[in-house]
Amino acid sequence: MSTEKQKERIELLQGTLDLLILRTLQLGPLHGHAIAKAIEFRSDDVLQVEQGSLYPALHRLIKRGWISVAEGTSENNRRAKFYGLTAKGKRQLTVETSKWEKLAGAIAQVLRPAGQEER
Amino acid sequence: MMRRKRMLEHLDEDIREHLDRETQDNIDRGMSPEDAHYAAQRKFGNVARIKEQTHAVWSIVWLEQFLQDLRFGARTLWRSPGLTVAAISAIALGVGINVGIFSVLNGMALRLLPVPRAQEIISVNQIFHFHGQGNRSTHNNSGWFSYSEYLEYRDHNDVFSGVVAYEPYLEATLADGDVRQILGTAASCNYFDVLTEHPAQGRGFVDSDCATAGAHAVVVVSDELWRGRFAADPSLVGKKIVLNRTAYTVVGIARPEFTGTEPIPSTFWVPVTMQEALEPGQNRLADDNMSWLAMLGRTRPGVTMEEIRANLGVIAGRIDQRHPGRTTSLAIHTATFFSSPEEREFLIPVASVILAAFALVLLIACANVTNLLLARAAVRQREIALRLSLGAGRGRLVRQLLTESLLLSLAGGALGSVVALWSFIRVTRFVVNHLPHDVPPYALNVAPNLHVLVYALLLTLFAGVAFGLAPALRSSRPDLNSSMQGASTSYKRSGRWLLNTLVGSQVAVCMVLLVSAGLLLRGLYYAQTVDPGFAIKGVATTFLDLGKQGYDQPHATQFMMRFRERLRGLPGVVEVAQAESAPLSHDFFENHFTLPGHADQLGIEYNHVSPTYFLLTDIPIVRGRNFTAEEKHDAPGIIVTESTARRLWPGQDPLGKTLGESSGREHVVIGVAKDAQVSHLGQRDASYLYFPAGPEDDSPSYVLVRYATGFGDVAKSIRAAARSIDPNVSIDVTRLEDYLEVWRAPSRIVTGISGTLGILALLLCSIGVYGMVSYSVNRSVREIGIRMALGASKAEVMRHVLWQALRPVLIGGTVGVVLCGVVSGVLSSMMFGLGAHDPIAFVSVPLFLLAVASVATFIPARRAMQVDPIAALRCE
Repeated sequence: MSTEKQKERIELLQGTLDLLILRTLQLGPLHGHAIAKAIEFRSDDVLQVEQGSLYPALHRLIKRGWISVAEGTSENNRRAKFYGLTAKGKRQLTVETSKWEKLAGAIAQVLRPAGQEER
Repeated sequence: MMRRKRMLEHLDEDIREHLDRETQDNIDRGMSPEDAHYAAQRKFGNVARIKEQTHAVWSIVWLEQFLQDLRFGARTLWRSPGLTVAAISAIALGVGINVGIFSVLNGMALRLLPVPRAQEIISVNQIFHFHGQGNRSTHNNSGWFSYSEYLEYRDHNDVFSGVVAYEPYLEATLADGDVRQILGTAASCNYFDVLTEHPAQGRGFVDSDCATAGAHAVVVVSDELWRGRFAADPSLVGKKIVLNRTAYTVVGIARPEFTGTEPIPSTFWVPVTMQEALEPGQNRLADDNMSWLAMLGRTRPGVTMEEIRANLGVIAGRIDQRHPGRTTSLAIHTATFFSSPEEREFLIPVASVILAAFALVLLIACANVTNLLLARAAVRQREIALRLSLGAGRGRLVRQLLTESLLLSLAGGALGSVVALWSFIRVTRFVVNHLPHDVPPYALNVAPNLHVLVYALLLTLFAGVAFGLAPALRSSRPDLNSSMQGASTSYKRSGRWLLNTLVGSQVAVCMVLLVSAGLLLRGLYYAQTVDPGFAIKGVATTFLDLGKQGYDQPHATQFMMRFRERLRGLPGVVEVAQAESAPLSHDFFENHFTLPGHADQLGIEYNHVSPTYFLLTDIPIVRGRNFTAEEKHDAPGIIVTESTARRLWPGQDPLGKTLGESSGREHVVIGVAKDAQVSHLGQRDASYLYFPAGPEDDSPSYVLVRYATGFGDVAKSIRAAARSIDPNVSIDVTRLEDYLEVWRAPSRIVTGISGTLGILALLLCSIGVYGMVSYSVNRSVREIGIRMALGASKAEVMRHVLWQALRPVLIGGTVGVVLCGVVSGVLSSMMFGLGAHDPIAFVSVPLFLLAVASVATFIPARRAMQVDPIAALRCE
């Protein structure tokens, strides 16, 4: 990995990982490794998730009742735990998404270059 | 907890799977297996930390931290055994005496009746309100019921499964060789059934026992009577015993645990319909307007207190309709030995005062422990500063320090409670067994129950927070910089302020307890030496209540005349006098009188006495004449005391003046007697009247005997004289002086208690002052060193240290003396013989306390003088 590439990667904000997991699971249940891969892939490798930190986050979401866990077999016939959205989790995803959009919009507003406003 | 375990079970496996997958992906991308493995691990992060974080998601953080704190606290306390032992002993002492006294109060007032399912037993009392005219006669307790009222409640309520009524404290003479008065109960015939109190042998009462008045002479005797008087005769049931001249068939013997439903144990129970047989001439059953039966009900399952109040209220209203001008409200409580409104009114304030005094000692103990903890906090400042600078939250730190102090208080509280409960049970048994013979035995059960345990726990927790909070808050905000640098020995203003406040309040509280004890001691001394104003030595008092021994009035008069005649002829007897109440005997008679031409009624106490009374008691008639032997109740003449005369006819000659009774009878003053404290010890100038005695005073009757020989011989011949007239008569012979003891007993008990409390307080307080001074000396070693290095003399250092230490003592002491001014006002209204501002107590106690404080200060201060300035400065 070059240092150039490392600079483009962004540390995740607190709580953002939860949102990403929920969004990822919207498409259907996945196992832990697949979730990590999906997040990296969908963000074009910009979002660098320390893969381990996925596990405390997953357990936190289970405890809150937003996702559920089921035993299953993965694509290569190995035993794995599949995490899926619950009804409560789906509702939470809508709430969190709109919250995030508001936040992102607000930050974008603040960060707009000064010149743009006068134009 | 279960879910947590299940969720974390496969975590290791999951993480391994994850790493395997990542490694495989890397290999697929063309890495060597070794590189692939390391890359996967790099990407995953610290496995141990991840696991810990995942575990943390599922753990109950506060509980785990609490257990951590507990372990840490226990280790810390274990490492400083001196402090731990000192703190635990102080708390044990403070909590122990509080729990002990509470268990006694609990045994007296809060404990339920000694019957099965006692929580269902409800006590009902009446409170009458009269509008204009109206009256009610009372036997024993004004809140009780008449027989017809009881039947009304028993038959028409919907809330009780059964209602019982009983007349307690019935005196009876058991004719059985050695004649003795015993106390018993006349009870409704459902008494044993409703209380579900089945006699150990035989049976209780059945309904037919109460069918006709006076027809069924059956009796249930107590276990104590059975063992004490009948030598546990196994065939007693079915035999006859004679109570007040009537033979009763014994039908049952009660369980040893059952002593009745009143605090003074009952030794027998007869059907309520036998009342007149036990008390001849008094048919209470027929009197619809007399309070003489206590009433208890057992609630039906599921009935609430509100429903009981509403239902019984309706019945009370119906009874009121038969008594115009009267409304009745009911006091309804779960039954205890003290559930009548009168008893509660008396007991609650007294109990509060006692508990408050004991709580003060606990406060002093807490202040001591606070001192100790503050001193240790100074030592631990470096540790705490380190933890704070490593990022420990202050709240977390306070919690940990509080856990430590709770640990201390729980250990102390448990120790104190166990010792107190163990010893108070024994002390109470000892006291109850060694009461003066004329005090009735009291069924006091001080064994701990839920009330006591809850009280102990609350006190302990309170103590833990009380002594732990201030040190915890203070030590968790040290000045990080200076602490880390080791400059912890520097004095801080706030620290000194806190310490001074502690010591000051300790001294103030101690002062209150000590001055109270001093006042009470002075009161006791006064009571022991007071001159009641009449001749009290060399007089025997005999008391006979022939009415309660089955005599009617003509027979009683006959007996008493022969009895007094025989007494006069006894060798060694100088004078014999008759009185309705003996001086200081706690038998008070009061009536309302009016002056001619005045409407207002004056309540004045009186006595009916024979002419010899004044000679025997050496109370001179200062004006007019004494009664003659011929004057009886119908004679118009009365004798008043000097104070009465002054009060009623100021500046006039009282002789020949008249005084009206509410019945319309007029009395004429024929003589004036000198004032004497014959009724209430300590009341020198209360109004008092004497009437001539007559046959009406023969039952009950006091006979006073002045003797010239020894009391023992005289008492023996007095008893023999009574027995020679009727061998079955029960007679009480005591020294007149002994009545003084009864008056002195309350102040003696209270003085004993408060003296003990005062000594404990003084002990704790001196330890507190000592601890405070040694602590501040230790902390200012450097300061003292500098002072001495700069040339201060030892005397100057000494003065400085002493002044620093004694200032809070002086301030606290002053506050304490002021508080005592208030307390003594309350005390002097409650106790006999107390002056509110007794100078000796108010001067000597503070001086004494100051002396003790000075000694406690001097010892550590002397150590301060021996500080070697070089060593003190170098130790930094």
